[in-house]
Amino acid sequence: MKINRGERRRALIVFGFFLVWVLLTVGALVKTQVFNYSKYLSKIKNQSSRIFSLHPKRGTIYDANGDILAISISSKSAFLTNKNKNQSMKIYKSVIGKIYLNTREKLKIRKRIYAGKNFIWIKRKLTENDYNALSSIKRKGDISKLEFIDEYKRIYPQKKIASHVLGGVGVDEQGLSGIEFSLGSVIKGKGGKVDVQLDARNQIFKLEYLEKKIPGKNLYLTLDSTIQYFVEKRLEETIKKYKAKGGAVIVMDSKKGSILAMASFPNYDPARIKYISPGILKNNAISFLYYPGSTFKVILATSAIENKACGTGQIFNCYNGVYQINDLKIYDVHSYDKLSFKDVIIYSSNIGAAKIGEKLGEKKYYRDIKKFGFGKTMNLRLPAKERGILNPVEKWSNSSVAYLAHGYEIFVTPLQMIRAFNVIASGGFLVEPRILESINGVRFKNMGKKRIISRSTAKKIANIMSDVVKVGTGKKAAVEDIRIAGKTGTAKKYRKGKFRKLYVSSFGGFFPAEDPEITMFVVINEPVGAYYGGDVAAPLFREISKRLIINLNISSKEEKLRAVRL
Amino acid sequence: MRKKKAPIKLIAVVALVSFLLLFTYSSLNLKNIDYGYEEQKLLEKERILKEEIDILNARRSRLLDLERVEKIAQKKLGYVYPEKKQIIKVIGD
Repeated sequence: MKINRGERRRALIVFGFFLVWVLLTVGALVKTQVFNYSKYLSKIKNQSSRIFSLHPKRGTIYDANGDILAISISSKSAFLTNKNKNQSMKIYKSVIGKIYLNTREKLKIRKRIYAGKNFIWIKRKLTENDYNALSSIKRKGDISKLEFIDEYKRIYPQKKIASHVLGGVGVDEQGLSGIEFSLGSVIKGKGGKVDVQLDARNQIFKLEYLEKKIPGKNLYLTLDSTIQYFVEKRLEETIKKYKAKGGAVIVMDSKKGSILAMASFPNYDPARIKYISPGILKNNAISFLYYPGSTFKVILATSAIENKACGTGQIFNCYNGVYQINDLKIYDVHSYDKLSFKDVIIYSSNIGAAKIGEKLGEKKYYRDIKKFGFGKTMNLRLPAKERGILNPVEKWSNSSVAYLAHGYEIFVTPLQMIRAFNVIASGGFLVEPRILESINGVRFKNMGKKRIISRSTAKKIANIMSDVVKVGTGKKAAVEDIRIAGKTGTAKKYRKGKFRKLYVSSFGGFFPAEDPEITMFVVINEPVGAYYGGDVAAPLFREISKRLIINLNISSKEEKLRAVRL
Repeated sequence: MRKKKAPIKLIAVVALVSFLLLFTYSSLNLKNIDYGYEEQKLLEKERILKEEIDILNARRSRLLDLERVEKIAQKKLGYVYPEKKQIIKVIGD
């Protein structure tokens, strides 16, 4: 086909226009993309880029079996961003009909609206129903100033279980008590910042992390929530039965020092921690200071045997129930004329204990009390641990040894007592109790154990403690088939310059006595009616032991021989 | 006449190549943006799934709350705790 001149000219013109258009387009693009790149980039960033803070997810707390004790889940919080009081009031009125707000919350919102605040929380950590109700009114009405933000909400699925160990968090997920507080820095994580780039339809097309958020680490505790549950239940029953003020029970693995249960009563729901009074938040297992009473005779007897101050068969005059040392008059519950060293512990004679103390001498006794760790803070990862009160030996009076021999003039915590009793159970080692098994799966090294008394002393004392349960004051702690070793304690409280008829009943022990697997300590504060450790604390020890024996499959040597073999 | 034809052809080729380059660049950019959207959608899906896992875990733990389990076992199903005598220990080798 032949193209004539006119046609070629027209084609050239069209082509020319096209070329000019292409060149102009290319030129414009080069100008925009190359020469004005930074100008347009900053413009578009201003229009489409938003910087958001990222909240870290708090770590989960698990028990020894991997069951969840505390977890953070995502939830929405609603807020208003409007300075116009009338508009804000209109939104507030449409909102209050849909979700529950208490009078205090309503008042707080109204106050902020009247003050003309630009940011007003409507409700934080909404339930699913609340969120659905608010988002539907936001969709239906023109309530563009009502906004939602993602936050985390702490959940304690097992409610009151291990409440004192876990503690709880505030509205901003800050630890307030327990392990949530003491390990706050580990479990909290670190917030981040993200630059979100949106298109014209407000759809995200790019995320640029300015600071990466670091989620909190997960904690694995040594607690077994099944054991914890029934320990708490039995403790509550005992406290209610004796109308006591409170109490604590600690269950520990005798060999490893792992705490399997730590119960304190009164307890609470960690999800409602902000409404709980400080008195209830107190963990009696680690913060309750009391005179240990006769349970402390175990420390005395150990020290006396270890220092060879007396033999287990040595006879002591018990003065038929009343004995005066300097300004101190000591009484026994039952009067005895003479008792052997062993029987002083088995029948819990205060006079006999004072005589043993005299023979032992204050310096040796003080040194050994310190060796058992009394008067020192413990290395357990829980806040508000008390170190107890032990006067230095230089400040002791002439009667101090006699007082300390039967558990007065010293303040201890149940945790310190269980550690001391475990020295006998472990064959002479001071094993540090631990409650944290691992962080993010990384196991902790054991705190180690330190021999503080000889194996033979520990064995002798264990045998005496075993007789306490068999024939002595601790008979009510006895369990069929398994030999229990323990010691009772009943201490009067000292208030306003004198000893009152208010008591702390306790019982500590371990089993099976021949090869202990479990060490346990029970303390009941101010029981009414019965108050002897052997009547109040020992039966609780027995009830918990019975269940532990089944749950942990604990057998005596004889039982192991009787077991059916496949 | 021959001398005039050469620049027109050259210009046409240059224009065509430029257009193709521009077209390729733009479509690559658009593809990139599409991938951005897709990535965000997947990340959002992942976030939602992770949240769902947490919620389900919490719900599971709530359902396994020992007080609740004990109540159902004892009151609805009539279960009782075994006495020590009712337990036969079996040791497997």
